[in-house]
Amino acid sequence: MRLPHYLGGLENLGPVNLFDKKVFMAEWEKRIFGIHTVMMAESAHLATALQKYPIANIPTTFKDTWTWASLRTGAEGMQPFEYFKYRYYEKWLMGISQFFVDRGYVDADELATLTEHYRAHPDAPLPARPNPSLKEQVVRYLHHGDSGLRTPPAPAHFTVGETVYVADPAAADHTRLPGFLRNKKGTVTEVYPGAFEYFVSTGQDGLSGPQHVYCVSFNASDIWGADKSEPHTVIYADLFEAYLKPAH
Amino acid sequence: MAALFDYDENREAASAAKVRALEALLIKKGVLGSDSVDTVLSHFETVAGPFNGARIVARAWVDPAYKRRLLEDTPKAIAELQFPGMTGAEGEHMKAVANSESVHNLIICTLCSCYPWPVLGLPPYWYKDPVFRSRGVREPHAVLREFGVPIPAEKEVRVWDSSAQIRWFVIPERPANTGQLNEAQLAALVTPEAMMGVALVPAPPAV
Repeated sequence: MRLPHYLGGLENLGPVNLFDKKVFMAEWEKRIFGIHTVMMAESAHLATALQKYPIANIPTTFKDTWTWASLRTGAEGMQPFEYFKYRYYEKWLMGISQFFVDRGYVDADELATLTEHYRAHPDAPLPARPNPSLKEQVVRYLHHGDSGLRTPPAPAHFTVGETVYVADPAAADHTRLPGFLRNKKGTVTEVYPGAFEYFVSTGQDGLSGPQHVYCVSFNASDIWGADKSEPHTVIYADLFEAYLKPAH
Repeated sequence: MAALFDYDENREAASAAKVRALEALLIKKGVLGSDSVDTVLSHFETVAGPFNGARIVARAWVDPAYKRRLLEDTPKAIAELQFPGMTGAEGEHMKAVANSESVHNLIICTLCSCYPWPVLGLPPYWYKDPVFRSRGVREPHAVLREFGVPIPAEKEVRVWDSSAQIRWFVIPERPANTGQLNEAQLAALVTPEAMMGVALVPAPPAV
C-alpha cells in the first residue's frame, strides 16, 4: 500500500490552508516548473504521439521520455512521510535533479559545486544560449498538448447506468486509481468516446495500451458509510476500464 | 535515501541555488535553451489562464444556447470563441459542469494536481496541498464552509476527481442584479476560485 495513492478521505487533517492562493510560494519554484514543462515538450515519446511532433529535428541533447507519469511515479515512490514533509515544488526539484543525475546528463558533484556558487552569488547570471527551434517546439506543445486519445481496440465493456465495482489491483509504483475507491460500488454516468492510452504501463495495476475510460459516480455514504461522510455528496471519478468490474 | 532529503538550515535559499545550478547546467549541456523556461512562464501570462475561463463563463451567462453547447460538448463550444491554445497541454479534453439552485460542483485531483490549464492557468497552492485533496472528497460541505461558501447541507455537492484524461471546470451561477452588465463586465466578476467551485460570484457593488 502506497500512502500517496490513498489521500482521498483521510481524517483529522485540520483546516485547508486557504490563504495561499499563490501558484508559486517562492520565485525559484517557477524555474523548476518551467524545466519540467520544457522536458515534457521535448520528450522523445512525442515523435509518435497523436500530434506527431518533429522531435527528431529539435536541436536538443535530451533523448529521454519525460511525461507526467515520470514525475508522479517519482513522487509516489517517495518515503511517504517525506512526501508530506516537503512542499509541492520541493518534491519536483528533488525528483527532477535526481533524474538528470541518474541518467548521466549532470554529474552530482558538478551540480553540488555550482549550487554552492549560486548560493554564494545568487544574482550570478545563467549562461546566455537561446535555442529558437526548441522555443518553437515548447510553444507548439503548449498549444497542442499530448492527448492520449486512441482508436478503441474493442467495444466498451460497460454502459451508462450500469452498476460497477472498482477493482483492487495489487499496489504498483504508479496508479491512476484513487485508493479510496477500491472495492466500492458506483454507477457509470458516461462512456467517453474513443479509448485513452496512459503515458506508461502500470504493470499489475492494470494500465497498458488504449482502454475505454468511464465517468463513474459514487455516493459518499457508499464509500465511507453514512456516519463518516456528508449526505448529498456525490463523487465522480474518471476510471480506466481495467479499474472496473461488473456488478455480477 | 533519507540523506537525500536532509534540508539545509536555509531551505529556500538552498532550493533557489540548486534550481539555478540545474538550469545553468542543462543550458550548458544543450538540454534547455536559456530562453526555454521563460517561454513556458510567459505562456501562462498571455495564452493560458483564468482570463479565458472567465470569458467562457460570461458568454454562457449571456447566451443560454451557448451554455447548453458548452455543457454538451465543451471543447467544441470553447473552439467557437477562437482563443489560442484551448486544446493545448492539460486541456486536451476539458469538460464544464454548471452550478444551479440544486447542485454545487467542486473540482479536485486526489492523486496529484490535474487542472485545466488553458482555461484556468496553473493551480493555486492549496489545490495541490494534501489537506484539500484529502478532505475535499469526504467532507466538501465542511471544506466549502471554510472557504466562506455556506452550501446548505441538503444541497447536492458533486465532486469531480480528475483521475484520467478529463480536466473539469465549473460554470458558477450568475449573480443577481447583473442584468445591466455587458459580457466583459461580467467576465471581470469571475474568479479562478469560482471556476473551481470554492467560491460563488458575488454581485458587483452598487454604483
